[in-house]
Amino acid sequence: MRKYLTVFAIDWQNQFIYRLNFVLWRFRNILRVLMTYFLWSTIFSVQTSVFGYTREQIMAYLLLVIFLYGFVGSSPSNDNIGGEVSSGALNNFLTKPIGYLRYWFTRDLSSKLLNVIFAVGEIFLLWLIFRPPLVFSSQPAVILIGILMLVSAVIIFYLLGKLALASVFWAPENTWGFMFVVLVLMEMLTGLIFPLDILPRSAFTALQFTPFPYLLYFPLAAFIGRLSPLEAVRLLFQSLVWLGILFYLVKRVWSAGYKVYSASGG
Amino acid sequence: MKVLKVTWLYFVNSLQQNISGPVVFSLFFTSKLLRYGLFLTFLYFLGSGIKLIGGYTREQLIFFYLVFNYIDTLVQMFFREVYRFRSLVVSGGFDMVLLKPFPPLVRCLLGGPDFIDAGVLIVLTAVIAYYLAFFIHPSPSSLFLFFLMLLNTLIVAAAFHILVIALGIITLSVDHLIMVYRDLTSLVRIPVDLFSEPLRSLITFVIPVGLMFTFPAKTLLGLLSWQMIIFSLIFGVVFLFFSLKFWHFSLRYYSSASS
Repeated sequence: MRKYLTVFAIDWQNQFIYRLNFVLWRFRNILRVLMTYFLWSTIFSVQTSVFGYTREQIMAYLLLVIFLYGFVGSSPSNDNIGGEVSSGALNNFLTKPIGYLRYWFTRDLSSKLLNVIFAVGEIFLLWLIFRPPLVFSSQPAVILIGILMLVSAVIIFYLLGKLALASVFWAPENTWGFMFVVLVLMEMLTGLIFPLDILPRSAFTALQFTPFPYLLYFPLAAFIGRLSPLEAVRLLFQSLVWLGILFYLVKRVWSAGYKVYSASGG
Repeated sequence: MKVLKVTWLYFVNSLQQNISGPVVFSLFFTSKLLRYGLFLTFLYFLGSGIKLIGGYTREQLIFFYLVFNYIDTLVQMFFREVYRFRSLVVSGGFDMVLLKPFPPLVRCLLGGPDFIDAGVLIVLTAVIAYYLAFFIHPSPSSLFLFFLMLLNTLIVAAAFHILVIALGIITLSVDHLIMVYRDLTSLVRIPVDLFSEPLRSLITFVIPVGLMFTFPAKTLLGLLSWQMIIFSLIFGVVFLFFSLKFWHFSLRYYSSASS
């Protein structure tokens, strides 16, 4: 455990080396939400309720999306693992007493912490500028379940990325292609741009059989009071089922990948 | 003539590279279409619950989004090499570009077009043509103005990318700058009129993504005044002129890295 704490501490310091890059990355996260904010603001300028959402609920949803996306979506491992395996840099880790995937998960956590700190500041700033009316769940139990769903979401996203990146062992040239598919689905099916329950009932139900809504939408729905305690428990359970399935798959696929892995050169 | 010939060779090389990896090609192609399809679905359902959004009908909103994607894809296809510029500068590989008897700016802008986007463009062209024929019914003069504004958009986009690589020489961080540009452009997936001031003016005239992506669609819908059309054309030429000046200025700051 101590070695991972050291990895965390070193990575935390490393992130301050490329400060401009980090600031630009955070700026980009705000830009992503601005389009949706203005779209919904225009809609609510002539209506008080849309698809069962009040203005307060949508605004809280949009602000929380910045926070949650910073927490779940920031994952430098997705940009680096493919390159490390295909270049043979993985050798360095295989000879050390450290788990490669645990090492990168620790680094992801360090990145998430920094992103969350900035996201809180950004949300406060946006709230000061736009002063949107907000509403959150009044049930502490549902919020607590939402937090658990969020933790599960972080692990699900990490495992999803690693599953896509495992293709590097067999087809290094296609790795980024598989990752791109995951990122597109992450952008469109997780609730990053719009609350998923505005879709027709059948599409929304079908989505629950994929891991994507558990990444952002369901934790968010819990926070803004769209879920009853019973629904929240059921969705947490479903989220954990996905976590279990992906954990099993990643373990199997990566252990098969390690068996075919080879690196040459010095 | 020589410049055109070499650029053509770059295009042919890129095409060969793209089709040599059919799995990657199909993964990116499918993902991009999926991304467009899902956002269109969102707009469709949004429009089914609300009659007018900021004065625009559902069909108009969808049309704005289709034109946005068309322009975005066209620009990405031509200027893909800009995304690889940073590694060229930090590795010192840019020295080799400067040494060759070929304009370095053309090499850095057009040296590696992405033909995966060409596949997407074909699909988008078909969808837009269908949409025009069945929902918009444009007059020949608005079609002419649309292509004029499209050309102007390409000029502004070229100027934008020149600015980014020029800044890249000075700051060495093109990666995020180009992605900031991409995120700024994604703001105008919806008409620029839906934004409130001062953001609306900022993204129309200062960071002209509104001008680039919204104006061609507006021309086709007959929603853009002739004064704005003339302003856009002048803006495009002036912006390109200043970007070129800045590119030459930044070259003086280039110092070779590595050996």
